[in-house]
Amino acid sequence: MNGGSLLAQGLKYGLVALLDAVVVWAAMALLLRGDYLMVALLGVAALLLNFLVLSRRAYPLRFLLPGLVFLVAMVVYPIGYTISVSLTNLQTGNLLTKAQVIAQLEGRYYLPPAPETFTFWAFRNAQGDLRVILTARDGRTFISRGNELVPVDLSGPRYVRGAGGTVTGFDGYTRLTLPEIYQSLRALEGLDLVLGDEHVRLTSVREFGTYLRKYSYVPDQDAVVDLETNVTYYAREGSFTSPDGMRIEPGFQIYVGFRNYLDVLTHPGIRSDFARVFGWTVVWSFLTVFFSFWVGLGLAYLLNDPYVRGRFAYRSLLIVPYAMPAFISALVWAGLFNADLGVINRILGELFGTKVRWLQDPMWARAALIFINVWLTYPYMMIVSLGALQSVSREMYEAARVDGATGWQRFWTITMPLLWVSVAPLLIGSFAFTFNNFTIIWLVTAGRPAVLGAATPAGATDILISWTYRLAFEGDRGNQLGLASAVSILIFIIIAAISGVNFRFTRALEDVSRGV
Amino acid sequence: MYSRPSWLGLVVRHVLIWIGVIYALFPVLWILSASFNPTNNLLDQRLFPANPTLDHYRRLFTDPAVPFPRWILNTLIVSGTTAVITVFLCALGAYAFSRFRFRGRRAGLLSLLLVQMFPQMLAMVAIYLLLIRIKEIVPWLGYNTHPGLIMVYLGGAMGFNTWFMKGYFDTIPRSVEESALVDGATPFQAFLRIVLPLARPILAVVLIIQFITTYSEYVLASILLKGTDMYTLAVGLRFFIQAAYDRRWGAFSAAAILGALLILAIFLPLQKLIISGLTGGAVKE
Amino acid sequence: MRKLLWVAVAMVGLAAFAQAPKLVIWADDTRAPVLRDLAVTFKAQTGVAIEVMEIAFDQLRGQFITAAPTGQGPDILVGAHDWVGELAANGLLEPVNFGPKLAEFSAVAVQAFSYGGKNYGVPQGTENIAIIYNKKLVPQPPRTWDELLVLARQITDPTKPMYALVFQNGPDPYHWFPMLSACGGYVFGTNRDGSLNPCDVGLASAGAIHGAKLFADMIAEGLLPAGVGWDTMRALFFGGNAAMVISGPWLVADTKAAGIDYGIAPIPAITCPNGALGTPRPFIGVQGFMVNSFSKNKVLAFDFLLNYIATTDTMLALYNRNPRPPAHLPTFALVASDPDIAAFGTQGAFGIPMPNIPEMASVWGAWADAQSLIANGQATPEEALKEAVAKIKAALKCK
Repeated sequence: MNGGSLLAQGLKYGLVALLDAVVVWAAMALLLRGDYLMVALLGVAALLLNFLVLSRRAYPLRFLLPGLVFLVAMVVYPIGYTISVSLTNLQTGNLLTKAQVIAQLEGRYYLPPAPETFTFWAFRNAQGDLRVILTARDGRTFISRGNELVPVDLSGPRYVRGAGGTVTGFDGYTRLTLPEIYQSLRALEGLDLVLGDEHVRLTSVREFGTYLRKYSYVPDQDAVVDLETNVTYYAREGSFTSPDGMRIEPGFQIYVGFRNYLDVLTHPGIRSDFARVFGWTVVWSFLTVFFSFWVGLGLAYLLNDPYVRGRFAYRSLLIVPYAMPAFISALVWAGLFNADLGVINRILGELFGTKVRWLQDPMWARAALIFINVWLTYPYMMIVSLGALQSVSREMYEAARVDGATGWQRFWTITMPLLWVSVAPLLIGSFAFTFNNFTIIWLVTAGRPAVLGAATPAGATDILISWTYRLAFEGDRGNQLGLASAVSILIFIIIAAISGVNFRFTRALEDVSRGV
Repeated sequence: MYSRPSWLGLVVRHVLIWIGVIYALFPVLWILSASFNPTNNLLDQRLFPANPTLDHYRRLFTDPAVPFPRWILNTLIVSGTTAVITVFLCALGAYAFSRFRFRGRRAGLLSLLLVQMFPQMLAMVAIYLLLIRIKEIVPWLGYNTHPGLIMVYLGGAMGFNTWFMKGYFDTIPRSVEESALVDGATPFQAFLRIVLPLARPILAVVLIIQFITTYSEYVLASILLKGTDMYTLAVGLRFFIQAAYDRRWGAFSAAAILGALLILAIFLPLQKLIISGLTGGAVKE
Repeated sequence: MRKLLWVAVAMVGLAAFAQAPKLVIWADDTRAPVLRDLAVTFKAQTGVAIEVMEIAFDQLRGQFITAAPTGQGPDILVGAHDWVGELAANGLLEPVNFGPKLAEFSAVAVQAFSYGGKNYGVPQGTENIAIIYNKKLVPQPPRTWDELLVLARQITDPTKPMYALVFQNGPDPYHWFPMLSACGGYVFGTNRDGSLNPCDVGLASAGAIHGAKLFADMIAEGLLPAGVGWDTMRALFFGGNAAMVISGPWLVADTKAAGIDYGIAPIPAITCPNGALGTPRPFIGVQGFMVNSFSKNKVLAFDFLLNYIATTDTMLALYNRNPRPPAHLPTFALVASDPDIAAFGTQGAFGIPMPNIPEMASVWGAWADAQSLIANGQATPEEALKEAVAKIKAALKCK
């Protein structure tokens, strides 16, 4: 790397200084909002940036950083989030934070034995202060003073009377019209007035009513007291629970450590179905990648041949599956494979007089799924191979002159090894993607046909991710996000291990940069 | 790489390609059929619907509740921007991995691929919360903005594409840049002026792949965009079949077909770029 | 310095507090246009703006759960009654105080929206399935399942194809339930106080098994195509390949558009093991308006619901957009003479509200698995349903 001119250096440091200034400004704004996580992230990012520009050793990082920023924010951060959720009890009934639940409970009221309702007039002065005059059913009148309601005699001269004897203003306050009341509803709703030991709140656009507070949080006991029944509910296992086991809904999120992981690993049903589901997941991913790669490469190879006419048109037609929304294609395929009514069986019936129970028989359902997924995937492989073949053709130019090998031999000895360099990592990636391709399974078979005697809802075509989706979302009260996260992480460990083996096997990590 | 095939070889090639074409287009025929079917049927027993109609296509351009042209425009903006930026950022990263030797390089490469393998079950919740936060600080970059969505897509696009490009860069001899470096160019200049032009085919491949991936992405877009005017085509499409029991397959299919034609229109000229790596000399033998 | 900044922040907060309120509503495409029209009236009368967000029906619930706790949710959510259990258990819904308006609503519909003894929704429309038949193919629909079997044996011809009856079964417990419930099958039993008991699962009761056997036999005999989904069912019915389907009001508009001369009739009664005729009891679904517990405009939201939505004008507009029996009784009276509404109502009178407790999440998958095992002939109805019930109870951690 060359030093560059003085001007360039100056510019560089100037930019860094400017960026740092912006970071400091943003950090202050965030600190005030109490957003400490973001401040920390920002700080790390800023330090990294300075290191990058100022350190010579970090030069390669300058190339990597722009992409890395997005990768960290949108891929790595969600992973961190998942890990954190996997340590909680997040699920139906335990969605909110404890603070949210306490706030909600403290906002709950109940009707006193003799509830009262009031009609009201609302008033506002030039400073924007809001006051109300309430009239009870029996004609008693009250006026708000701060948070308190005090009896008031409206006959005094302070109170300006309008048509029909209504009070239109007092002490610089003027009465709000109905549309003005609508405009001020948020403020009116926020009023919590006290009348004796009862609370008075806005209950509708036209009325106030008496209420009593239902719950009160006692911080030093970490408990909520039901003021109506005097029962104390202690915070236990993510719910406020009374000594005799009654729980207040909603519960709240808590950290449960590794409990979700233990639940998965010690679940008796999971252990008995795991081998079958895992086996099919591997077969499914491998065969999908295998077939779609060879179909894609084959077509790319044919369509790279300058002697084949109409290449441009063919290539476009062949990527059509890639350009159709998978959602509709999968449904159409499922319909075509329908055993009783599908076109495929009708064709087979005409040709061979036989029917295949495509999506109902475990083996055929698997075959159909792979067939459909190859259809969805091969255009990607074709485009990728088309690109990779270009690097080959360059080398070919030199190599082909040397020996007089046949086309077939050249393909295996020269084309493939070169192609492999750029394609192998993509195949591993594609394998991992298919391994976790929940959507296609869900759209076509939803994991079915079902397996009789399975200990868990594991169908014949369920892959790990769809099976665990069912466990987490079709169990208990649904949406066991904590459990689902733990499972995601376990699956990640599995797929990472498999990929590690694949890397060894394909030597994808080796540097094959020949000609250097 | 290719020698002039015999007459028979040529026929075999065309037959193979045609088998591929039939495989590719077979289910699409039903989607095409549905787009002309007045009764909104997707899986009609007849491939040629009774009383075929152009109504579904007409509706896409006339119904004010369905701003289809707007969706196309949004898609072009989101997918186009994402694809172009992806190509540039991944090329930068790939160049570093291919040409520099630095500590953590292998670990970096490996983790780049590994993080992409993480099951995304909960990613959308995390991303949603993140974008809501961003919106509170930088409104134009957060939730329910196209730049925000593009940012999300960029994050997901880095891994595989960087790997793919790195593989290609590895096959470009280092000697081609060395003279430039000797002449005093910085590695960045060498990358920009020498390596990038040579890597045109792979840039075009990543461009088209990223464009199509973004074009068809639905889950994140549907969570991060609110209001029909903001929708991308993929989200807009689902709009037709959102009700479990009122699926307007006719309009859905018509829009899907038009969207696919759009992709083909973009792919057609890009092909030339992809093939441009095939130098004239390679054809002869 | 810090103090000063806080003051500035507080002032910004106050400014937000003084801001004019705005109601945000999330609704699907069948209600959003009506609500937008109503928003104009509301704005004129109260000065308050309403923003209607149109969101796909199948996305509404999930997005609400994600958005509401962050404060990004709507004030009002329009959805189905069977969401109430999950949403209320998560603390996301505000109970409705109907006041005197309560008398204007169908008691069943209000009950459907209640959870844990509180009402959480203002109901709008109800729906249930029944037989929809093609008059050209069956002038008079069968009244009992035995008559249906006779008819099916006459006209079924898989090669054409032609079927007497088709319904979504690929698997689809919702459309299967009437067959199981006719002779006493049920999902959850009830406690003494009328609430549902998630550990009393009645899907493998004798009545349910009886209905399931009927289903299995019809498939084995080739009288009922298996693996049918919504789109296949429609295609067969509209193409004249199915004389009758079991479906709901959502199919009617397209049936008219397809030019089918249709009628609506009750699902044929099933002869039970004890010899009596059992009436199939479909699920009843109710749709309505719910208020977000995190809303800052609750009084406004309820004012809107009880004084602007719960009127015959609005309810009629909603009905016209998407004809279902209205849950608002004065509006129901106006449309009760509609023959389709009346016919669906005849069946609906025997309906059971779909359970709204969150425990239902454990039921659908296992139940659907059982149906697919039976349809594929991989298990007898008894085996499959007993296993399903065992799985449901295990998932719910019942003893």
